[in-house]
Amino acid sequence: MKIVPFPQPEGMPDERALARIEAALHGEEGGGEVVAVTAAERADAAYWRQLRGDVRALAPPMSEEFALRLYEAVAAREAAPARRFPPRFGFGRALARMRAWLGSGMHARLVAAGGISAMAAIVTLVVVAPWHETEMLSAKMFSPHSSVEVKSALDSSSGTGRAAPKEGPVTPYYKEASRPEAGASSGAASAAGEASPARVQQRAASLTLAPKPAAVQSVADEVAQLTAREGGFVQSSQVRRQTGAAGSAELRLSLPSARLSGALAALGRLAPVQAESQSLQDITDEYDAARRKLADAVAERQALLRALARASTQGEIESLHARIALAATAVTRARTAFGAVSRRGSNSTVEVSVYGDAHGSAAGRSTLEDGLHDALGVLKTALAVLLVALAVLVPLSLVLGTALLGWRASRRRLRERALS
Amino acid sequence: MDKLDGQQLETLFRDCADDVHGYAISLLGDRAAAEDVTALAFERLYRSRRRLDRTRGTPRAWLFAIVRNAALDELRRRRRQGGPGFDGEGAPPDGPLPGAGPEGHPDPAEAIEQAERRATVQAALRELPPREREVVLLKFHGQLTNGELARVLGISESNAGTRVHRALTRLRDACVELARQEVA
Repeated sequence: MKIVPFPQPEGMPDERALARIEAALHGEEGGGEVVAVTAAERADAAYWRQLRGDVRALAPPMSEEFALRLYEAVAAREAAPARRFPPRFGFGRALARMRAWLGSGMHARLVAAGGISAMAAIVTLVVVAPWHETEMLSAKMFSPHSSVEVKSALDSSSGTGRAAPKEGPVTPYYKEASRPEAGASSGAASAAGEASPARVQQRAASLTLAPKPAAVQSVADEVAQLTAREGGFVQSSQVRRQTGAAGSAELRLSLPSARLSGALAALGRLAPVQAESQSLQDITDEYDAARRKLADAVAERQALLRALARASTQGEIESLHARIALAATAVTRARTAFGAVSRRGSNSTVEVSVYGDAHGSAAGRSTLEDGLHDALGVLKTALAVLLVALAVLVPLSLVLGTALLGWRASRRRLRERALS
Repeated sequence: MDKLDGQQLETLFRDCADDVHGYAISLLGDRAAAEDVTALAFERLYRSRRRLDRTRGTPRAWLFAIVRNAALDELRRRRRQGGPGFDGEGAPPDGPLPGAGPEGHPDPAEAIEQAERRATVQAALRELPPREREVVLLKFHGQLTNGELARVLGISESNAGTRVHRALTRLRDACVELARQEVA
C-alpha cells in the first residue's frame, strides 16, 4: 500500500523542519531521534544557534548598578517576605493573615465558591421560604382586593376583622348610624377605614379535610359542634358511608364573618387539610343602595302618615290610606332586601368537604412513620433548595465565566495591539 | 500546584534576570524602561509565586509571560502618551553594538566579522513585521520551547511552532539578502 502524504498548505512548516529548529535551539544535533542527522542539518543547526547568539548579543547587558539593586531587592524579599507592611494591631493583623491565607489560589477559589453558594442559598431561602408562600397564598385568596384588606382579613382572627354589619337588632338600620360596625371594627379594619371607610364585605370559604376513613363521621360531627360554638349554624349536611369504600361528608355552614378566621383555623385542626380556599367580595354599594331604598320608603311612609293626620276630607283620607298601604309594602320589601344584604355581610358561608383518606391522615401513625415522613419532607425541601440554587448558580457562573473570558481576551487583544 | 519557595525564586532570578532584561530592552529599546519592566516582573513574580501552577508551564515561561505583559503594557502606555512604540528598533538605539569592537576578542578578524554579522542581524530584525520580531525575541531571549512559547502567547503549540518557523525563516532570508547586498 502506498501512502500519499497530505499536501502541506503554503506557508505551513513541516514537522521535520520545526523539530530541527527546536532541537538545534535546545542543544540536540539534528532534531533528536525523530530526524536523521546529516552534515547539512548539522550546519543548519549551527546556524540557528549562532543566530540566537547574535540576537541575544544585540541586547546590552544589565548595568552592574541595576543588577546589584535588583539582586538586593530580591534578597530583601527573601529575607523578610511577610514583613513588608507588618500590621501591629488586631484588625490589621487578622486582615494580613486572611490575605496570606487567601494568597493560595485554592483557598481563594474555595472561599469564592463558598460565598457564591451562600448567596445563592440566601436568595433561594428568600424565594421559597414558607412565610413567603403563606403570604402569596393569602394574597391569592383575597386577590381582587387591596393588600390592606388582605391584611385586615388575616388579622381578623380576634373576630372583628371584617367591616360588615354584625348580627343583631336591625331596627335603626335605615339611619345614618346604621353601620356602626365600621367604627367598632378591629384596629386593622380601622386602619383600612382611614382610606376606605366602613366597607361591607361578603366572605366565603371552602375547606377539604382528609381524616382516616373511619373518622369521617366523627369529624363531620365535630364540624357541626364547632359551628354551633362559633355562633353559626349548619345550613346543610350530607354524610355518605359505604362499606368497603372511604366515606365522605359535605357540610354547608353559615358562620359569623367576624369569627371566620378563627373558625377556619379550628376546623383545620380537626383533620389534615387537603385544600382550602377563601373568597371575598365587596358589597358596600349594594348595602348602601338597599339602605337608602329602605330609608326612602320609611320616609315616604312617614310623610304619608303626616299628611293623613292633616287630611280633612273623606276622599283624601281614603286616598292616603291606599298610598300608606302601598308604602308599607315597599318598606317591608326594602327591609327584607336590606336584611338579606346585611346578613350576607355579617355571615360567611363555609363549605366543608370531608373525605376519608387512608394515607393522608397523620392520626394513628407511628413515630417511625412520622420520622420517615418528615425526613422525606426535609430531603425534598433540600433537593428543591439545591435545584433552585443550581438554577441560580449555573447561569450566574456562565455569565461570570463568559465575562471573565471576554475581559481576558479583550485585555490580550489590547496588549497585542501595542505590537502593531 | 507547586508554589515557588525562596531558594527556587533566587535560582530563577539568577538564571533569568539577564534574559528578562535582554528581552525587555530589545522590545522597548530603552534602558530605563527595560529596567523598570524587569524590576516589575520580578515583583509580580514574587507576589504571585503561590499561584504558580507547574502543570501549566515552567516558572521560566511564567516569568516571561509576566515580562511580556509588563512590556506590552509599557508600550501601550507610551502609545497613549504619544511616545515611541515598538517601531522596528530591535536593539537599543544608543551606542555601538555590544561586542562590535575588536577589543577583548582573541581574534580581531573574527571580531570584525562577528560585528558585521550582528549588524546584519540587527538590520534584518528591523525588517521583520513587529509581531514576528517579538516572537523571535521571545524565543531567543526566553529560550523557550514552542510549548512554553504557546503558553506565553496564549495560542496553541502548533500555532506557536508555525509562527516561530515563519519568523525565523524570514529572518534568515532577510539576513542572506542583506549580506548579499553588502557584498554587491
